[in-house]
Amino acid sequence: MSAKLIMKQVTKTYGDGDGAMTVLNNLDFTVNEGEFVAVLGPSGSGKSTFLSAAGALLTPTSGEIFIDGESLRDKDKGALTELRLQKIGFMFQSAQLLPFLKVEEQLLYVAKLAKLTTKEAKVRATCLLKRLEIWERRNQYPEQLSGGEKQRVAIARAWMNKPAILFADEPTASLDYSRGREVVRMIADEVRSEGKAAVMVTHDDRMLEWCDRVLHLEDGVLVQA
Amino acid sequence: MFLALREMRHSKARYSLIMVIMLLVSFLVLFVTGLARGLAYANISALENMPANYFVVQSDADHTFRRSQLGESELAAARAVAGEAKATPLGVQTSTITAADADVKADITFFAIDMAGMLAPEVTEGAGITNEVQGSAVVDSKLEESGVTIGSTISDQATGMSWTVSGFVKDSSYSHTPVVYINQLDWQAMKQGAVQGGSSDSTDSTDSTDSTGNAPYNVIALKVSSAQASEIAAQQQSVEVITQKQAISSVPGYAAEQNSLLMMIAFLFVIAAVVLAVFFYVITIQKTSQFGILKAMGTKMSYLAWSVVGQVLILSVASLALSLLLTFGMNMGLPDTMPFQLDGQTMILTSLLFIGMSLLGSLISVARVAKVDALEAIGRTGA
Repeated sequence: MSAKLIMKQVTKTYGDGDGAMTVLNNLDFTVNEGEFVAVLGPSGSGKSTFLSAAGALLTPTSGEIFIDGESLRDKDKGALTELRLQKIGFMFQSAQLLPFLKVEEQLLYVAKLAKLTTKEAKVRATCLLKRLEIWERRNQYPEQLSGGEKQRVAIARAWMNKPAILFADEPTASLDYSRGREVVRMIADEVRSEGKAAVMVTHDDRMLEWCDRVLHLEDGVLVQA
Repeated sequence: MFLALREMRHSKARYSLIMVIMLLVSFLVLFVTGLARGLAYANISALENMPANYFVVQSDADHTFRRSQLGESELAAARAVAGEAKATPLGVQTSTITAADADVKADITFFAIDMAGMLAPEVTEGAGITNEVQGSAVVDSKLEESGVTIGSTISDQATGMSWTVSGFVKDSSYSHTPVVYINQLDWQAMKQGAVQGGSSDSTDSTDSTDSTGNAPYNVIALKVSSAQASEIAAQQQSVEVITQKQAISSVPGYAAEQNSLLMMIAFLFVIAAVVLAVFFYVITIQKTSQFGILKAMGTKMSYLAWSVVGQVLILSVASLALSLLLTFGMNMGLPDTMPFQLDGQTMILTSLLFIGMSLLGSLISVARVAKVDALEAIGRTGA
């Protein structure tokens, strides 16, 4: 079993001198293939910083991060962008679909960025949309979808380029309980059927039923619940 | 372009509004440009259509033809360098004529030329005149519109001399007045009449009238290389050799007229760029979070920059194409008396400049997009 994400002694400090604030403090974390990990923490505990660092959006003050075996250290902005495109799938709060793209185009767009052929992309998008049961909605704009449907499109978009790992930032924040559970179940299903890994950051401890591991972010380190 | 086109498809109203503004501005640019060119042409077409590229003028004449006085010696000197056929004298005299049979009174400019030389007018209707026969003139077709016909007799109010119109030429204006071409014999008669009859300027004129008794010319038109032109200028102290362009811009009123229109055109270009820049900047700020998401998902900055520039390019080219059609349509509908002229070269130059200014305006938005951090995508609740 190979590790999809390794974080070694990762520290992130904001500011300097007396006013310095350590958000991540020598944090160690490993996610293996096929694992779906939940990271819990109240707001202000550094969840966003943790996710940004793991997702190659933020360079930590010290420590090293590996995604699918590749170290993020010494990569420039362009290389990190390319890595995010190929290796990482993101799910954001409130789905954050592009308002001017139809459902299917949301998926085709990321495929186009990753330079998939049109035919490949079509096949992959069809397969994902069908599995997530939003195939009938493929020609609609996000504004015509419900919150749950939007998140399902977001799941499909995140998996489109077959990333090594998926990061979900509070995917259930804008959904009610039952729809939220549905979305989390679908993320779990995809992790299993794609044979990849996922990390979900949330503050809602009712959504943990399908997670393989649950960790708490406390004082800048992750601890087993 | 994937994003650019789909976004425009989705927000049709927003982008159509921008396009309408661009359309109006670019139409105005083209129209005022056409008007400026048209006015310029109506002003000095006689000079512009002359096959001469340099003119010899008196050095203290401020490049103005009518202030300049040259005689046979200057002509001989110029001909010595340029050759007999490439240097020819030109007399210019503004006056008012009346036509006996047509109840016409019009301001005109006499051009006295060598009818066998390079300045001989191309008659489009009727017959030309020769150097030997006095009392005939070829006139600009604008006089035809006011009632002058072939065979009409026109008289100069100042001297009382009269000519029979033998033919018409097209597009021959000087300082917004139609040109009347007469030969050298008539010119001498006119000048000598003025010398004998005139009082105040008689001393000046006799000074520059040379020993053979020929009346002086105003300028000498040249068709020479620039080396020959400077050679002629170097030979004589009292003369200056100016280019056709310089001669045109020294026509009374020409520079004032053109400069004010040019200023309008320049402002329109700036306005076009600023309006577009502001619109796109506001739209871009509105989309800041979208750009953050796109960057987090792995969209390259160059892709986003092309997306913005692409939209501006599409909008400006489309609105320019429409306004070109509009300009053509309007040009056909305009009455002939309205001076409007837009040749292909001016049109292409104006269009390229317009697109260039639009792209310049879009750069502010591109800079703004470059500043958006992908980090903004994480931890945001609002859509």
